[in-house]
Amino acid sequence: MILRSFQKMDEAKTIVLEESNTSAKLGMWLFILSELLLFGGMFILYSAYRYKNPVDFHHASRELEVLLGTFNTLILLTSSLSVAASISALQRGQSKLSMVLLMVTMALGLLFLFNKGFEWGAKIEHGIYPNSPALLARAKGEVLFFGLYYVMTGLHGLHVLVGICILCGMLILIAKDKLNPTRFVPLENAGLYWHLVDIIWIFLYPLFYLIT
Amino acid sequence: MEPEKKPHGTEYRTYTLVWMGLVVLTGLTFSVAGMELGGWTVLIALAIAGTKSGLVLNYFMHLRSERLLIFRVIIPLVMAVFLVFVLLTFADLAFRGGAR
Repeated sequence: MILRSFQKMDEAKTIVLEESNTSAKLGMWLFILSELLLFGGMFILYSAYRYKNPVDFHHASRELEVLLGTFNTLILLTSSLSVAASISALQRGQSKLSMVLLMVTMALGLLFLFNKGFEWGAKIEHGIYPNSPALLARAKGEVLFFGLYYVMTGLHGLHVLVGICILCGMLILIAKDKLNPTRFVPLENAGLYWHLVDIIWIFLYPLFYLIT
Repeated sequence: MEPEKKPHGTEYRTYTLVWMGLVVLTGLTFSVAGMELGGWTVLIALAIAGTKSGLVLNYFMHLRSERLLIFRVIIPLVMAVFLVFVLLTFADLAFRGGAR
């Protein structure tokens, strides 16, 4: 009889866990939706200006470091792999592996930001930054391109930075055993956010670096 | 929701396969950019980017294993809304007179 009541308690706990899992995940997806529309709006702006200034956009695009952009794409794709694996590891009770994979993800994110900083630095050194005299002297389409480049990659970079901080928070929670096989939704949600950041870059990359 | 009860190692394998697909698609989009395809380049690039996003959404973000309808509907819904925005914008742009 005691066993039966324990069983019932377990079931009750499971039901509560499932409900809160769903609502937490739904909250994250709704947030992702809003983020997609945020960047989506900028992509529409980009497409409008590119439609009006195809040649200028092509010329401006050629000044970006394609190989570095490609490398950054691969970095983020790999970081998505590592964060997804990190969640799997946690679900299987492999907390240490999960933490290692999270650290890999964060390291890749930092590498991405480092590369971005390097790219921006190189451009700024050449006098190409929003409202610079050198930039304003160029064709109108090129001014628009670089304006969009800085704003969109900048906003994206901020999202990467925030993502790294969130992952760091998750890392601490796992270390404190607050996240474990019975409670892993926060990590899943952090993973969702990170994948969003990856998806945004998946579109930024060809649209800025590969304009022909 | 409960994670799917798969034998150990299957999830890692799936993730790795998806990752390889993503890397291949990245290489593809890079190569296509080097070819002389005119207006098609942008469409192909977007198609490849869309495919990559689909892979990330379905496998890394687990949309494929979601049972609740709301999760399966959210992304297509957002894309539909976005498509409407794009169409309306270009319906305006394409018919504007004058050089701007």
